[in-house]
Amino acid sequence: MSHQRYPSDAAVKEPHSVSLKVLRLSRPSLVPQYPLSPPLTPPSTSSSPAPTPAPPPILPASLSYTPSPTNPSPFLLSPILALPPSFGSAYVGSSFSCTLCANHDIPPPIDGGPPLSRKTIRDVRIEAEMKTPSSPQLIKLLPPEEQPGIDLQEGETLQRVVGFELKEEGNHVLAVQVTYYEATETSGRTRTFRKLYQFIVKGLLVVRTKTSELGLGGKGGRRWCLEAQVENGSEEEVVFMEEIGLELEKGLKGRDLNFWGRGGGGREKVVLRPGEGEEVVFIVEEEQEWDGGVEEEEKKVFGTLQLGWRGEMGGRGWLATGRLGTRFLRPREVTTTTG
Amino acid sequence: MHSPLPRSPGRSPGPGTPSNPRRSGPAAPPGTAPRPKDFSFLLRPEIFHPLTPLNIPPAFRNSTKQPPPQTPLAELLEKGHFRAAAISAVQTLTGTGHTPQPDPTDHNKIFELLYTRWACLTLINSTDLAAQEVKALGDLNSAFYLAEDPVTGKTNHLVPWELRVVNVRLQAIGFGDLRRAVMSYYELAREARMKLAEGMGEHDHSARELWRERLEDLGVRVAGALVEMGDVKGAGEHLRGLKVAEGGKMEMMRALLWLRLGDVDAARGCVMNGEGREVTRGEKVVLALCDMADAEYEDAVRKWRELEEEGEDEMVTVNLAGRVLLEGLVDAGRSSHTLLFNLTTMYELCTERARSLKVKLSEKVAGMEETNHGWEKTNADFKL
Repeated sequence: MSHQRYPSDAAVKEPHSVSLKVLRLSRPSLVPQYPLSPPLTPPSTSSSPAPTPAPPPILPASLSYTPSPTNPSPFLLSPILALPPSFGSAYVGSSFSCTLCANHDIPPPIDGGPPLSRKTIRDVRIEAEMKTPSSPQLIKLLPPEEQPGIDLQEGETLQRVVGFELKEEGNHVLAVQVTYYEATETSGRTRTFRKLYQFIVKGLLVVRTKTSELGLGGKGGRRWCLEAQVENGSEEEVVFMEEIGLELEKGLKGRDLNFWGRGGGGREKVVLRPGEGEEVVFIVEEEQEWDGGVEEEEKKVFGTLQLGWRGEMGGRGWLATGRLGTRFLRPREVTTTTG
Repeated sequence: MHSPLPRSPGRSPGPGTPSNPRRSGPAAPPGTAPRPKDFSFLLRPEIFHPLTPLNIPPAFRNSTKQPPPQTPLAELLEKGHFRAAAISAVQTLTGTGHTPQPDPTDHNKIFELLYTRWACLTLINSTDLAAQEVKALGDLNSAFYLAEDPVTGKTNHLVPWELRVVNVRLQAIGFGDLRRAVMSYYELAREARMKLAEGMGEHDHSARELWRERLEDLGVRVAGALVEMGDVKGAGEHLRGLKVAEGGKMEMMRALLWLRLGDVDAARGCVMNGEGREVTRGEKVVLALCDMADAEYEDAVRKWRELEEEGEDEMVTVNLAGRVLLEGLVDAGRSSHTLLFNLTTMYELCTERARSLKVKLSEKVAGMEETNHGWEKTNADFKL
């Protein structure tokens, strides 16, 4: 993980018998390959005299795994999956997941010294908490009381997976605490240590909306046009939009004017590369005939815009805007919501 | 003779290199053999970069399996000593090795060695070096690289097809412009189409097959180039227009594209149109990948297990991603980059002292038989 700060258990000098390792569980990725013809096969220049030789097979070393009919060579992408190479970027609206491994490490024998005394490790527990920019205290991800302690033989690992929905931009800290009982032949004690992992959550989608009045509809209800621009504000993420929908308040009906919208037969894919945007338009109409009155708060709320997307290899993200609507005194106001 | 190298105006052209490289050479008078072309500009030592052994783990660097310097190139390739082969090819090209330097007019030999050099560099994780070195070829579309066949009278390209194909990607990387790759593949495709038409006109069955396969290969490579440019959607559109014969391959390619993009429904759609028949192995692979993308890991594991029982496939076992399974693969002699990368990642998770496990793994892989799957690995393969 990104920024490991410091083990806060400085009082105990003796190294811990249990280590903690953390890996962020982003989706694995399809491994690219660059298939090659083997060198030094008979030259197949077009100048060579007939008969023309058959194309040589692909060099196995240039494929992403041992040759198999499942490999779509010479295609770039192959179905073998690689684990995430690094922490990557974390975005608002996506799920953060990581695996926490507490390992009973076997210490290496000191050169020339006597073999180290064996330790028994019992009752290992992992606690995990998340600190977000707005939360005054830590949010518990793995409450210790819900898990039994595990005994670990030498070389064994206790693995836990935690998940957290990222909803805010800014600094997050994952705090992990490991507690265990360490026993030698003559004594025993409970030990604990804590590690902090800090990472930054960035905004991915930026949503700008604009409403305009359309006058009365066929049944006498007021109508508005809601336009929204969804922009990929990241620097490297490609986003496949699964859904851009309007969740309406009671008493309103809406029409989705976007031809790629759900239910359409030949759905056009909306893919936003960094910096790219997509415009969507909805018509919002009151179900009841307008009686000429205006809302007391001088504001008509339509609902929220809901965005669902997938990243590379299907990683999910979901966002909803604040409540969108229109004001009567300033009918062409532009509201900006940052997702 | 003409060199295809673009030259800066401030530099005086060398002997026999006219300032306009694109103009074709003077046509030989009828009845006389054309003067052989001089390729000495491809034999200059300054083109080639030295390869450092520092990124090779000691288990390989100090192994008794390291080939002696006079090992023939063919043997190096056969045993997967690709770094040694890349060095040996350059020693021959520059006349600093144990084999004599090819004659500057022996284009077959020169291009064979250059292809070996650059293919091997891409295999040892040194594609960036290859991308710099291929710049020496200049513009392969230059008339300089064309020659008339004395027997048939046809104009032919002197550079082997494989080198021209690999050059496309390497030059695109070297010049930092991936769009260039797409254009260059299309240029090759135009030629392949012409040759295909010629083969059909002359009822030359083997030529027809050869060019048809090359054309298909280029089409698939264009899709890959689009993916690398970040245009996955465009790659999907492109694939739609391709005819790829073999059963299921096109469906697999499209499904992988949509998975890469994150459109899991579309990926499933690629393989779910064969109603009323058994799901093929390739289709099951796609469905298991879709489960992974949907985070339905239990379903995915069940599918991978079934696939594993049906037959051996390194990909299936790697995707099951169990440490014991991966170690079993290494014991069985497998050593793909992804296998080693995933296994060392697991080592990093399982202990504070992953380094010793990684070194042990590198020793085990260094002890493997040398095959053309590649023997020597780099530090990056073991995250060392």
